Amino acid sequence: MKSWISFLLPDDEYKNIKMLYFFSEGAILLFLSLVVMLIGNKSFQFGTETILLVAIGIFLLYVSGRYIISGIEYTDISTERAYRKELKATIIKVIGFVVIFLTVYLLLMGAPTSLNQWFEIGGLLISVSIVKFLSTYVSLKRSYQKNKELL
Amino acid sequence: MKNNVKITRIKASITQEQLARKVGVTRQTIGLIEKGEYNPSLQLCVAIAKELNRTLDELFWEVD
Repeated sequence: MKSWISFLLPDDEYKNIKMLYFFSEGAILLFLSLVVMLIGNKSFQFGTETILLVAIGIFLLYVSGRYIISGIEYTDISTERAYRKELKATIIKVIGFVVIFLTVYLLLMGAPTSLNQWFEIGGLLISVSIVKFLSTYVSLKRSYQKNKELL
Repeated sequence: MKNNVKITRIKASITQEQLARKVGVTRQTIGLIEKGEYNPSLQLCVAIAKELNRTLDELFWEVD
């Protein structure tokens, strides 16, 4: 079946169908949340920016959350050894991200001049790293458990 | 849907990973098909049957 959305979908047919479900569910939730905000806007007067951010957040969090929890990301991780190896690779990737981000930031923006700026950049880096690590860890763990049961 | 894919694959001495690579899906998808947790498309059923040298009937028809 040809559709413009095909470029966003994986080649594997099981993953492909799962992703279509996640996108569809996310789109329906997004529509319902917009209806709720449209009705609520008469009483609460949400700002345009708030509505847009909430709408984007609902869609992105739902689709990525479902993808992470479904355990379809790491389809070949089925042994303890492969799991440990991938976990190690994830930790290295996160550390690599921190180092590259910090280097690029210092080169482009210069070193932070105040303690407050150091906290800002440090806080951002720590938050992004934690989210990245946790999402990968949960996805990897779920994939490993799912694959183990299918052996 | 229950099927004979796993038993046929094992008799043919093919691993899930090898079969998956040959039919162009992931190992997880083959595992799900074997467990009856995912119903593959007709195109994939034909590809699996060809790789295992069996007919669709032998692999997917009325398994108890």
